[in-house]
Amino acid sequence: MKPPPIYLDNAATTAVDPRVIEEMRTCLGSDGDFANPSSVNHVYGRQANARVERARAEVAELVNAAPDQILFTSGATEANNLALLGTARFHRDRARHLVTSRTEHPAVLDACRQLEREGCTVTYLKPGPSGIVEPGQVATALRPDTLLVSLMHVNNEIGVINDVGAIGRLCRERGVLLHVDAAQSAGKLPIDVRHDAIDLLSLTAHKLHGPKGVGALCIRREPRLGLVPLQFGGGQERGLRSGTLPTHQIAGLGATYRIAREVMSVDIPRISGLRDRLWNALAAIPEVELNGDPVRRVAGILNVTVDGVEGETLLLALDDLALSSGSACASLHAEPSYVLRALGRSEQLAQGSLRISLGRYTSPDDIERAAMRIRAEVERLRAIAPPLAAAAG
Amino acid sequence: MRADPRYGAEVLRRFRELPGAGDATGDAGVINARADAADDGARVVLSLRIERGVVVEARFRAYGCPYFIAAASWLTDRLGGATRREVAEWDWREAAEALEIPPARFGRLITLQDAVRAAAAAWPGTAATAV
Repeated sequence: MKPPPIYLDNAATTAVDPRVIEEMRTCLGSDGDFANPSSVNHVYGRQANARVERARAEVAELVNAAPDQILFTSGATEANNLALLGTARFHRDRARHLVTSRTEHPAVLDACRQLEREGCTVTYLKPGPSGIVEPGQVATALRPDTLLVSLMHVNNEIGVINDVGAIGRLCRERGVLLHVDAAQSAGKLPIDVRHDAIDLLSLTAHKLHGPKGVGALCIRREPRLGLVPLQFGGGQERGLRSGTLPTHQIAGLGATYRIAREVMSVDIPRISGLRDRLWNALAAIPEVELNGDPVRRVAGILNVTVDGVEGETLLLALDDLALSSGSACASLHAEPSYVLRALGRSEQLAQGSLRISLGRYTSPDDIERAAMRIRAEVERLRAIAPPLAAAAG
Repeated sequence: MRADPRYGAEVLRRFRELPGAGDATGDAGVINARADAADDGARVVLSLRIERGVVVEARFRAYGCPYFIAAASWLTDRLGGATRREVAEWDWREAAEALEIPPARFGRLITLQDAVRAAAAAWPGTAATAV
């Protein structure tokens, strides 16, 4: 029987760690902490509340924040929206300018476009060919009326790392808020919101072997940061995010981050080693290039451009590997990656890109097989391609 | 395991097996007709061996999406035994229907039709020049 495809799309989402599943299971049934965590007038509610607060502390610890800085959301998309729309609307009489980059996730770019419709102006920085936004670019873009800078810690398509610490200190000196989308970096890189002067930090569970549908926004406590809620109702989460707290999801998020903290020192070098082994194998194929900075990159993401084969075609040929061409969000459409286009790749090369993302359960054998299969299919498809018109004479 | 639902069974079969890929054998009576899409890099070369006024062997080379490659493969079967007139009158909609190709990819079939037209123009005995 044909073996199942090798899963190499961990930047899109990950399988949930069995320890996290067990943590969540104990919050669901009648013998567990199923009650509404706001119902603190009875013991069941207080038990559920304790699980929520324990998870809050576990999330806070991963990023060196205080527990009361953590506000639970449905994921990083909601956290990004709340960070951008919430602060811009709160401060709209004071400052109306934001800075972000062209290679942000749509959850940030689309929120910025909404703010433009509401009268804000947004500067979209263009990263260099490495894909990294340099602190100097941010410094140049700041204006007297700049309210907030929003940048991702790790790019979701190419895996490069922005120096959010340098950018945070720069923003703090200039009195500008910094929002960091850490969906791809939490638990994979050290994050310290105090040291790095990060005012708002978006987090999610499902990129780190946790459940989908839960995340958090870490909000600076002192001085208090004004934020307008996006939804209204029961006043949970200090009135900033109404809605019954999903205890099982939140407990899952807490367990995800606790486990990440425990295994980070082992997981990260192992995954980096596998990624490097894969890249060394792919680099031996002619006209395969790495996208993004070769050094400043997160462990699990490798993005390569394969000249001479279309990305969609290569993905179909490689259906025994689960990987993506660009981000999972973008791959619903046939458009070439806007991230790679922003880095200066031609439309054709951007279409011929593969994002290969590794995770906790990726094995050395997976990497050997993936490298072999990619080489075989690239050679097969290139063999039937006509030369380019200029070379054809 | 479910096959990718975006592609029909015949598209998948042709894409995997690539029947008709390569170049027509020999030199005598062989024409190569090429078309390049202006915008997205798709390109195809049809290699046809013609004897006694009909196509006796058809092969293709293609760069593009899976639909485009499968359609080029399908075309090599379709052109077998065709006369110059039949080649000149071939319409891309026939491949679209046979392979259930979605409208978003019709533009690439027109590139394929351009190659077929170029083949008709390069037919042995006509005044046109092979591409």
